[in-house]
Formats: sequence, C-alpha cells, structure tokens
Amino acid sequence: MTDDAIIHQVLRGDVEAFARLVDGHYDRCARIAYRILGNREDAEEAVQDAFLRAYRALASYEDRERFSSWLSRILVNQCRTMYARAHRRELMFSDVDPADAPSFVGEEAGDDAWPDLEHALAQLPADQREAIVLRYADDLSYEEMARVTGAGQSALKMRVQRAFTRLRVLLQEVHSA
Amino acid sequence: MPDLDFQRRVERVLRTAVPTSLHARRAIMDRVRQEPVASAPRRLLPLSAGRSARHSIIGIALAAGIGSITTVASLAPAAHVARAGGAVTSVVIGDSVVDRLRDTLRLVRLMFDDPTARQVAVVGDFNGWRAASTPMQRDDATGRWAVTLALHDGAHRYAIVMDNTRWAGDTSSRPGDSTRYLYSLLHVARASN
Repeated sequence: MTDDAIIHQVLRGDVEAFARLVDGHYDRCARIAYRILGNREDAEEAVQDAFLRAYRALASYEDRERFSSWLSRILVNQCRTMYARAHRRELMFSDVDPADAPSFVGEEAGDDAWPDLEHALAQLPADQREAIVLRYADDLSYEEMARVTGAGQSALKMRVQRAFTRLRVLLQEVHSA
Repeated sequence: MPDLDFQRRVERVLRTAVPTSLHARRAIMDRVRQEPVASAPRRLLPLSAGRSARHSIIGIALAAGIGSITTVASLAPAAHVARAGGAVTSVVIGDSVVDRLRDTLRLVRLMFDDPTARQVAVVGDFNGWRAASTPMQRDDATGRWAVTLALHDGAHRYAIVMDNTRWAGDTSSRPGDSTRYLYSLLHVARASN
C-alpha cells in the first residue's frame, strides 16, 4: 500500500493505519536525526515529535510532494529546534563512545564502521552537516533538499562539497594525531 | 585515499542504519492514540459513479422541547434547513431550543440507504471524524441505516463511512473545485413555523 493510500485511510478515521507510516519511515528518520543531532536519545525524541507533528498536520499534507520529503521537512525543523535548544554544541556528541560506534552501523558494519567519522560529523557547521545528511542519509535530490531546508540548490551543493572537504581534513587530523 | 573513494565511503556510512528501539516506535503510536483523530478529510478518494447513485441520505431535524437532548417531545411541520444536492437530501421537519442548557441543539435524524453495507457510521466535524464514535443503526425491515445527532446551528461537514473502507458524501457540496473533497454540508438552523 502506498503512503498516500495509508494517509487516506488515516484521514478516514483509521488511526492504527498511521503505524504503517511509522514502520515505513522510522529507520530513515532515525538515521537522519541521529546523524544531525549526534546522540540517540535526542534523535529518538526528535523522530517521535516529528511523527506526532506529521499526524497532527496530516490533513494539510498535499501529495504534490512525496510524503517522505514532507516528513523530512518536519523532522529537520524538529532537529533544528532541538539543536538550538542544546546550545552548547560541544556537548551534543558527548555520549557517543567510540567503542560503541560499531553498534550504530548495523551488524554487517565492516568497512562502514567508521567511528571517527561520527566525531568528525559533529565538528561540521550545522548547515553543512544537515546538507550532507539529507543528501546521503536520506537520499534526497537537491531539489527536494531545497524544499526541505528552504535553501537554494546551489548553496546546498556548496555545503555538501564543503562538508566533504572539512570531513577529510578532520579525519586526516585524527589519523596524524 | 582518492577524493572519490573518500566520498563514497562517507556516503556509505551515512546510509547505514542506526539502531532503533522498539520502545521508541511504540511510544509514537501511544502518543498518536491520545491525539484527536486527524480531522479534515481533505483528500478523500472519490466514489465510483455507479456506486454513489445507489446511496441516499436524508437528514431530518426533529422539533423537541428538551431537558435532555435525547428526548424528542414534539414534531413540527416540515421546514427547510439542510442543503440538498446529488445523492444527498436533507430535510428538516422541526427544531428546538434547549433553554435550560443556555444553548441550542437540534436533533438531526440522518438516514442512509445501503443494504449491502455491514457497518455504517457517520463522521464529521461534530465527532472529530471518528468512525467509531457515531455508528448508524440498521432497520432490518427497511435496510435503512439511521442515527440521531444533536447539533448546534450552522454548517456541519459530515460523511458516511461504510464498512470502514468506503465513504459517501454529497460531492456537489464540496468546497472549491477540488475533486478530492468528498463530504456533505449540513446546514442546521431553526425551522420556520
């Protein structure tokens, strides 16, 4: 069943159908929120709030855009709110223990286990981190990213490129230390 | 590591799943269930033309001098109140004023014909569009579904839900030009005597 069909079902009064949307998008949202916020508790809270806001606003969803992009926009706003609330950025990733990092990348981590990258991501400016996460953790096109973030496509491309450059520098610093 | 390889590795890591807790997922639905039902049926699937023609809805507001809004004390001569259009017809045969409650509620009898339905409910602004809140009762003799509503004066959006899957409404009364709206408007006001 498509997202739009599920939404119709929810709007017809079948609240439980919303669980299908949660199941279908939770992992993706958790990945985005975790990569942006940097810790699991905040990410879970942001995802939970985002789904709740989406539910409340479901009647205003228009299927001219994909539900996933619409939900991402809500989630990113929620992450921004939480990020602003955190204030002290240096504490945001304090609960990421490098020793735990493999557990954050799934069972078949292998080459994808890269604890230093988690820490390097935390060092990025928020707009660059958000851009690179949306581009690759959410697989959004630049057009969709522009709708989600409100930024222009060329600015977003620049942010992603700068994020790569910055990450490379940060990771080289780790290895040379 | 060449730039391209570096970028691909970063992309791969960003795409990998993060662990999630079942508790966190359940908490979402726990909170959702405490919310009012997602209300406005902005985008309802249109009924097929063949099916909608078999439905008829009659809304009747009954006159009542009431201490309790569920008591119908008297019937008044028919008067217009509701809007009719398409497959939906609403007729008011009376009205009432509830003095003691310092409020005015009118009893509106909705009737709906669909002998094939196993379950029928009315949803609308007045019940948060919850299908479970206002089931209609079937008269086995006539096959007609009916329910009595107590409504304030004014326009009420409503629709009929059959078997929790199909909706019927007065498509001619939908707002705007969108073909995706499907609900009726019931205008309730005091009937003239």
